[in-house]
Amino acid sequence: MKPIIEIKNVKYQYPGADKPVLNHVSLSVDKGDFVAILGGNGSGKSTLCKLINGLIPHYYVGDYSGEVLVKGMAAEKHKVAELSRHVGYVYQDFENQIVSPKVIEDAEFAPLHYGLADYHERAVHALDVVGLIDQQHKFIWQLSGGQKHLLALASILSLNPDIIIMDEPVAQLDPQHAREIYDILKKLNDEGKTIIVIEHHTEFVAAYARNVILMDQGDVLFKKPVKEALNEVDVLLEHQIYPPQVTQAAAKIGTSGILPITIGEAIPLMASIVECEQNTVHKLRTEDKPLVTFEDVTFSYKTITRERDQVLHDVNLTIHQGDYIALVGNNGAGKSSLMRLITGLVKQEKGQIALDGKDVRKTPPEHLAEIVTYIHQNPEHMFIDDCVKKDIGFYMKARKDPRTEEKVANLLKQFELTDLAERDSRLLSGGQQRRASLAVGVGMQPKLMLLDEPTANLDIATRKHITRILEELKTQLQAVVIATHDMQLACEFANRIIVMHEGRIIHDGTKASVFTNHNLLKKAGLNPPQIFTLAKKLGWERPVYTVDDFIELYQSKEAWDGVHA
Amino acid sequence: MEYTRKFTEKLSVEQVKIELLNTAYGNGGTFFAKLDPRTLFLWYAYFGIFPWFIHEVMVLIGMFLFMLVTTYVARISPLIIFILCLGLLGQGGYLLIASLFFGGDWTSILPLLILTLKLSVISLASITVFCSMNPEKLSNGLLKIGLPGQISFSIAYGYRMLPTLLEEYHHVFQSFRLRGKAPEKHGFLYINTIAYFIKLAVLSFYPLLLSTAKRARTTVEALETKGSMYGFNHIEVKKLKLAGLKMKKRDYYFLAGSLVYMISLFLFL
Amino acid sequence: MGTQTLNNRYTLTQSQKMMVFILSMSLYGLSNMITELVPSAYLGPIEFSIEYFAFIPLTLCILFHPLYAAIGASLGEVIFGEIMLGQFGGFGELEKFIAFSLAMYIAGTFVRDPKNRKQVAAAALLGVIIHQAISATVDILKVWVGVEELEAVPGLAESVVVIEGFSFLNDVLFSGILFALLPTVYLVPRLYGKIEPLLGMKPRDRNDRYSLTEIIGPRLIATGILLAAAAFLFEFLSESGFNVEWEADFLETYGDWFIFVSLGAAFIVALITISVMLSKKRKTQHLKNAKKEEKVS
Repeated sequence: MKPIIEIKNVKYQYPGADKPVLNHVSLSVDKGDFVAILGGNGSGKSTLCKLINGLIPHYYVGDYSGEVLVKGMAAEKHKVAELSRHVGYVYQDFENQIVSPKVIEDAEFAPLHYGLADYHERAVHALDVVGLIDQQHKFIWQLSGGQKHLLALASILSLNPDIIIMDEPVAQLDPQHAREIYDILKKLNDEGKTIIVIEHHTEFVAAYARNVILMDQGDVLFKKPVKEALNEVDVLLEHQIYPPQVTQAAAKIGTSGILPITIGEAIPLMASIVECEQNTVHKLRTEDKPLVTFEDVTFSYKTITRERDQVLHDVNLTIHQGDYIALVGNNGAGKSSLMRLITGLVKQEKGQIALDGKDVRKTPPEHLAEIVTYIHQNPEHMFIDDCVKKDIGFYMKARKDPRTEEKVANLLKQFELTDLAERDSRLLSGGQQRRASLAVGVGMQPKLMLLDEPTANLDIATRKHITRILEELKTQLQAVVIATHDMQLACEFANRIIVMHEGRIIHDGTKASVFTNHNLLKKAGLNPPQIFTLAKKLGWERPVYTVDDFIELYQSKEAWDGVHA
Repeated sequence: MEYTRKFTEKLSVEQVKIELLNTAYGNGGTFFAKLDPRTLFLWYAYFGIFPWFIHEVMVLIGMFLFMLVTTYVARISPLIIFILCLGLLGQGGYLLIASLFFGGDWTSILPLLILTLKLSVISLASITVFCSMNPEKLSNGLLKIGLPGQISFSIAYGYRMLPTLLEEYHHVFQSFRLRGKAPEKHGFLYINTIAYFIKLAVLSFYPLLLSTAKRARTTVEALETKGSMYGFNHIEVKKLKLAGLKMKKRDYYFLAGSLVYMISLFLFL
Repeated sequence: MGTQTLNNRYTLTQSQKMMVFILSMSLYGLSNMITELVPSAYLGPIEFSIEYFAFIPLTLCILFHPLYAAIGASLGEVIFGEIMLGQFGGFGELEKFIAFSLAMYIAGTFVRDPKNRKQVAAAALLGVIIHQAISATVDILKVWVGVEELEAVPGLAESVVVIEGFSFLNDVLFSGILFALLPTVYLVPRLYGKIEPLLGMKPRDRNDRYSLTEIIGPRLIATGILLAAAAFLFEFLSESGFNVEWEADFLETYGDWFIFVSLGAAFIVALITISVMLSKKRKTQHLKNAKKEEKVS
């Protein structure tokens, strides 16, 4: 088949950068392929994609050499606007790509500005493809995050491009919506479109992609069919890419031949593996005095149609010292509202909330801030000063703490930020920003910390790093609540999991009680870690939450077998 | 504290969205809302400028009455009209007091009243016209009369981005509040507290400058890929966009009616 | 379009200009909406209110290309502060638009070295002074035009000048220092070198000069406005002339109308031109090319 994209020996360096972001990259992509690009932060994935629609070299000035052919057109000789008719690009910060106030207008924007007379029909068709047709007359402000992402996709589909590039399609979505967007991409692929995604989640790669490109430090390390690519477990791990859990597990237990990349493939291969008996130690939790209590709390806000949107219904909840809670559930289940109510920044409609014995409704948020800290999902909302050091010390300085400097130095060390102390927090990478926002939160010396999606938008390696840091925080805080879609984080961090659904707490238990309850998972739209599902499908009785758990159980099984053999 | 709470509530993002929608689409069903934007511009071009050069009191009063009728038809709340006229009268009042001080006498009242009348006619004309146009109509109209496409884009972009920007501002402002420390004493006339919050309001723009810069970059990149650098001022694109604009009978009748009224004012008064 | 090289000194690409424009428009627009919503305190005729956060466009004009930052800010004010709040005032906005863009533009070009605090401070005050001076002049002119035989009414002319002069001083001292001078001096050094890379630009350096074609005398601005007004009229005439629904009978009736309209347009243009020229004579010869302003792109 003739390649639709050919990249020949391209080298590129951003203006002002000290080394090239792409080193002599050569690559070709066939028409109708579904390609996933893997690579750590800063490996040049996004830069590579910007070559394809001509943003490089037309839009970004910098040192550029080599040749890019898109459908036989030399990218250098065609304008961005011409190439964009064939290449649609959905950004990671897709929000800023939506430029019109209404859904239909945004979908019409591109074909209209290319002067295509059937712009309205094109827009309607594109909205239909992504399933937003019923929302077409809504304002962008009325859409959820997931819907906005779909709209960004529709707005490029309206030009009917042959190539669709999506930069981290599921970074901010809950598992259900993530699957939805991949199913749409698959449908488009079946219709003959070439799809390129940048993706950290190898489980999606395994399920949907046909070929995989691995990048590192501006080089393409390989381009292989997905199965072969994900079988390169060592190479991937070396570059901070984590293959699907089933693949990792299979590699660790030394499965011979080709490793499985999906559960479906894993089950026949591992059918012989039986779990072994093992005594697990249950952590004892001391029931201390309650830190937070919710009594019949309801919360709603006025929407633009002037109706009240009920976000929380009669919530009752007690958080004790020593509680490390994961708050899970779909987008819009009410997790953020629940946490924001504790901070006093929003007030409940009915019911009582007490924080450390204080009535939250009657205490100004400034005073509550001395007990509870809320870490925003977007770390940038936490940065108010012009460097990391000042941001961390802001709270202490305002209170004239004489030991500010010493405390800030310790925090910088704890969060591995010492080298970045003088940098502006907003100009750091995603993982660094996240660490800085945590340091800011700890710097307020709270008893309780609330975190909103602390691992969203991070690559898996950074995610693991943050999880480790959160683990260390347990000693400094009396209680922590994390709202998250990241079930691996929930499993590793929490000793209590609260499941929310449509404004209600529908379950309050532990990982065991949550993940073994099939109906609950289905209702709340939760996906347990893949390894958990594998173990269950293999018929193991004991739940398994991490690859290490799996290996441990497996190994002890081997030992057990050995004894009795 | 109470005051700031009210203020922040007023600035709550959902509240602003409601207000924006109301302002933008509140007057959809009126006679004026059905007119072509060109008609409205043309009409305004006369009533927004000519009163400056008319000195006959009776004609001005006639125009003023006409404006009252149009604002009524456009369903502008009478309260707005009242407040507006009161404000204009107040300005005239200051001028009067000042001129008395400079050795003038009560004869200044008449010219000042006339001035106020002119200003009222002009303001009412602009309220009638611009409250009757929703944002799409206004930007299409501006595009039609030859203003650059960037302006109509900017209007749309404003409606798109305002809630997002406001939300971000709100978050940053809250971060300042929670991590900073409000003054212990409110001071004379709350001066300390007011000064503190004004300072926060100003400082909150520093983070916003940086994050909006990042936003602007993606947006412009996206505009480029959406062909708009090419399309903003392209004649074909304009034609497509404005295909829905048509002068109808209603437009001509309205303009003719206004003309007849003005001619009769000049002839019979 | 997107194609360019950045070899020349401080010439921005089309897209970079657009970025500066959007940045300035969104932020100043947002600040305008906030200041509109904050209530103001009155002490007799003196108003203590946050009139505008002039530091935003000032900062951006000093850090980036002043023309696009200035026009973006003015348009942001019109869109966020007027149209979106339902307060759009038609021709009145045109005058504000021109006065404000001009003032911010001049303030921006005044600064040669963004790291020099004295220059930044002077530019911030200069910007507010120019803006307030133009506004005051236009307000005085309005009374002049609006009141027949102004000289015949004793005391009126003086009182207008005194009241406008007083509000001029009030605004310059209150808004000028609190919301222009102090924040600008605080922000410019902090953002210099930090915000430019976010837009993919090099920071302005001490030796950068704006090309001379952008610094143009008052005659050009006047012609620019006249041309724009003429363009407006011709566009309208041609568009409506080719309208299918436009019946022949109507053309005759409307012929007179167009004369009125063009007369009116000519008057407002004259008004603006005079006010701008008057204030210009005393101030500076730095003037922007109004024609360019029409093409923000």
